[in-house]
Amino acid sequence: MTKDVLAGSGQGVKKGRTRYAGWIGTLARSPLYRGTIGLLAESRVARLAALLAVPLAWIAFFNIGPILQMANISLLANYPLMDGDEPVYTLSQYALFFQESLYFMPFLRSVVFSVAVTAATLIVVYPVAYYIGKVIRPASRNRALLLLLTPFWAGEIIRVFSVIMLLANRGAVNALLREFGIIDRPIPMLYTYFSLSFGVVYLIALYMLLPLYSSIEKIPNSLLDAASDLGAGPLQRFRRVILPLSRDGIVSGCSLVFLTTIGVFAAPLLLGGPNTVIFPEIIAQLFHGSNDKWPAGAAFSIIMLLISLTTVGLFVRVVGGRNVKLM
Amino acid sequence: MRLYMKNPQNVFLTGFYWAFVAYLFVPLMLMTAMSFKDSNFISFPIDSFTMKWYVQVVQDEQFLSAVGYSLMIAFIVTVVATAIGVWIALLASNEAIWGKALIFALACLPAVVPGMIQAISMRIFIRAIDVPTGTFAIILGHTVHAVPFVVIMAMTRLRSMPSNLVDAARDLGADNFIAFFRVTLPYLGPALVGGMIFCALTSIDDFVRTFFLGGYQTTLPMLIFAKISGGMSPEINAMATLVLIATGAIGLYAERRVRRSRN
Amino acid sequence: MQPLVHFKNVNKYYGKSLAVNNLDLQIERGKFVTLLGPSGCGKSTSLRMLGGFETPSSGTITLDGKDVTHLPPHRRNVNIVFQDYALFPHLTVGRNIAFGLELKGMPSEKIHARVMELLELVELQDYADRMPDQLSGGQRQRVALMRALAPDPDVLLLDEPLSALDAKLRHQMQIELKSIQEKTGKTFLFVTHDQEEALTMSDLIVVMNKGRVEQMGDPHALYARPVNRFVATFIGESNFLDAVVRSVDGNIATLDWCGHIIHATLTGPAAKVGSHVTVALRPEAIYAVSGQPDRKIALPGKVTNRLFKGNFTALTVGLHEGQSLVAQLDPVALAHLEGDDVWIGWREEDAVVLAD
Repeated sequence: MTKDVLAGSGQGVKKGRTRYAGWIGTLARSPLYRGTIGLLAESRVARLAALLAVPLAWIAFFNIGPILQMANISLLANYPLMDGDEPVYTLSQYALFFQESLYFMPFLRSVVFSVAVTAATLIVVYPVAYYIGKVIRPASRNRALLLLLTPFWAGEIIRVFSVIMLLANRGAVNALLREFGIIDRPIPMLYTYFSLSFGVVYLIALYMLLPLYSSIEKIPNSLLDAASDLGAGPLQRFRRVILPLSRDGIVSGCSLVFLTTIGVFAAPLLLGGPNTVIFPEIIAQLFHGSNDKWPAGAAFSIIMLLISLTTVGLFVRVVGGRNVKLM
Repeated sequence: MRLYMKNPQNVFLTGFYWAFVAYLFVPLMLMTAMSFKDSNFISFPIDSFTMKWYVQVVQDEQFLSAVGYSLMIAFIVTVVATAIGVWIALLASNEAIWGKALIFALACLPAVVPGMIQAISMRIFIRAIDVPTGTFAIILGHTVHAVPFVVIMAMTRLRSMPSNLVDAARDLGADNFIAFFRVTLPYLGPALVGGMIFCALTSIDDFVRTFFLGGYQTTLPMLIFAKISGGMSPEINAMATLVLIATGAIGLYAERRVRRSRN
Repeated sequence: MQPLVHFKNVNKYYGKSLAVNNLDLQIERGKFVTLLGPSGCGKSTSLRMLGGFETPSSGTITLDGKDVTHLPPHRRNVNIVFQDYALFPHLTVGRNIAFGLELKGMPSEKIHARVMELLELVELQDYADRMPDQLSGGQRQRVALMRALAPDPDVLLLDEPLSALDAKLRHQMQIELKSIQEKTGKTFLFVTHDQEEALTMSDLIVVMNKGRVEQMGDPHALYARPVNRFVATFIGESNFLDAVVRSVDGNIATLDWCGHIIHATLTGPAAKVGSHVTVALRPEAIYAVSGQPDRKIALPGKVTNRLFKGNFTALTVGLHEGQSLVAQLDPVALAHLEGDDVWIGWREEDAVVLAD
């Protein structure tokens, strides 16, 4: 807001005075405006078209288009297409996935790994979310939450790198253990499933924390008091009141964490080793070098997308919750 | 209130919370500590300290150009994603539009597709539309990823907007466009600024999309990744620490802003 | 003279339900007109049709002789005060009021003068730079009113603007609204479900029910001469007497009510002799005395209930035929106790024969 204070000119102090924007009306009445945007504004059809055009085009072109094109390529037998080539469609890439354990096993590992990480994250983060949502004073909730959110704004590469600082052979943990004479030689923790899950949980805990917190925080304290009043101990109160009422948060959090984990890429690259090869790495390899492996990569991506979305869909369906939001 | 009393469970939960805080902060602190180590090797313990790595980083051409490149991409991504996200939010929160739930779901698709698959599908897609890997492809990939977050932020705010504000503006002589720019957009303002900062930060932090869509010029995460994969020296720590402090501070500011605008 | 606003046979359907049924209403310049009725009676829909937010399914609306039926809101010279004020939360009080003026393309200096003039009218001249959320409910109400008046509309529409205020403030605002209307000479179209608001402020009240106009008239006429049972109950309270017409002399009907001969005034079409009619009788029009009075209408009864209400006492009197009537009496003349024998009656012009 612009204010110009007129300097006192012997008539005492003048007050701050708002400058009003009469130009808006002048603009709206100008022939230029009336002939262009004004015309659109007057017509219901034109307004509707303006409202619809960009969003629908964007969604169709960039949200759906890439996935359709990926599905298209996954079915091509002759890729890349040369000039004048007729596309030949085949399901052989999909068959390859199920026949070749080189592809199938990493995929299975990926799914099992994601499920395990999701479960571990839930167990680790639930008490934290409960603590913020119900134990501490409402006035300090935001602060307690913001403290946890801050590290997440460092990018995934930086966070993965910081995990290396902790777990490397010459990292902090091994240095500490050696200092106290507990070990002589460093324990190899990096490039194992341990370091990988440690790092992935570190990357994704936020996606669990926020939905859990918002559903736990919404549970009225009076319900907990009522449960205690009716003779429920802490354990029963948790099992019969808090847990069912935070179901929406659990479902949203687990879905988000699962979807993120199954598509995790940087962490396995830096924290995983030859024994922990999971599916995204396999897919990525198919996209290095020449283009002829793209149909296989596309097919595997489609399989992974379908299976991960179905898994989450089933999970949401079975565990339920009335108000599950994935955001 | 009974709930806030100190009892064994709550003592345990308090301890658990602080352990979790330690889990989140200790690695980053170690990383920061290492950036002051006066040695060419990243290894604990740290015996002597120096500022030389920071001096080296701020003179590092590669680092500076990566910062500039990342910022440039983030800026364009934010502007485009905000415009399109608000546009979609307006559509999806319009009562009169049939199928708006479906539009909303499809608009949020990139937020639920695993990042790796999204990156791959964009890689395939840009080839189909004859766009080479490089700046434009990165911007496109980041924008597609950022739009759903703007849509959700804008819709949350729009839902809390009294519907008759727009009616009032039109009653006072504003057509639909003027009403949007004079009333709806300023009302969205505070939430939108927070959302825009998130967009910028996710773009700056993004690795997987840039990995598949990038050209020869490196963004910040790509540069750090390359340095980690190559030979390591505490210079990476100094670099990462600077980025951590900048993004952490901005993220914290945006988060507070958004949370306040919801109250 | 041509009316300022004319609803001509306006119908409004929502799907199959008829929200406004054949509304025909003329509003004269400078009047305070109130649409009164229960929720869902079509009063707000009618207001919104004049504002341009709803389009009639059939019929036309003219404003100052011009057909505005299909004009969008920003093209008609009427302004609304919304029920919850709809003040722009991101703009100061001054900018809220200036909103319509800015869109008229007025220069900044003139806008400033107009805003200050309006704020002075409601004694808020020091509040121009405040934000709406720093104001009290009554102050917001005044700002909303001034914002709507600022562009100098032909008609000011008020959509239940007082319903969000507490009772005391509401009374105060009724007086203030009326005085602003008189000072500015503007035409006000006011919508409310509160009969008291309507009676206090209006020059003309239009009583609506289920999309139809039940009765129009000035407040006194509506109160004293309701045409049907709905109006008689919606505005004030009434006793209803089922009677048979014996004879009609001019506009006075002689009726048989449970064996008593009573008289009542005809407001509608002449009732047929021998037909069954309902007579409405205001409780405060009934007198009660201990001994048999020398009046035209005097019926013996017994007090069955007595309620002290502060400024009056409500007496339920059972007549010997099993009927009972409620009378409102001055608390000073409070001689009658429960179980006492009393005589009750009324002046014949206070009883009204209803159309239904």
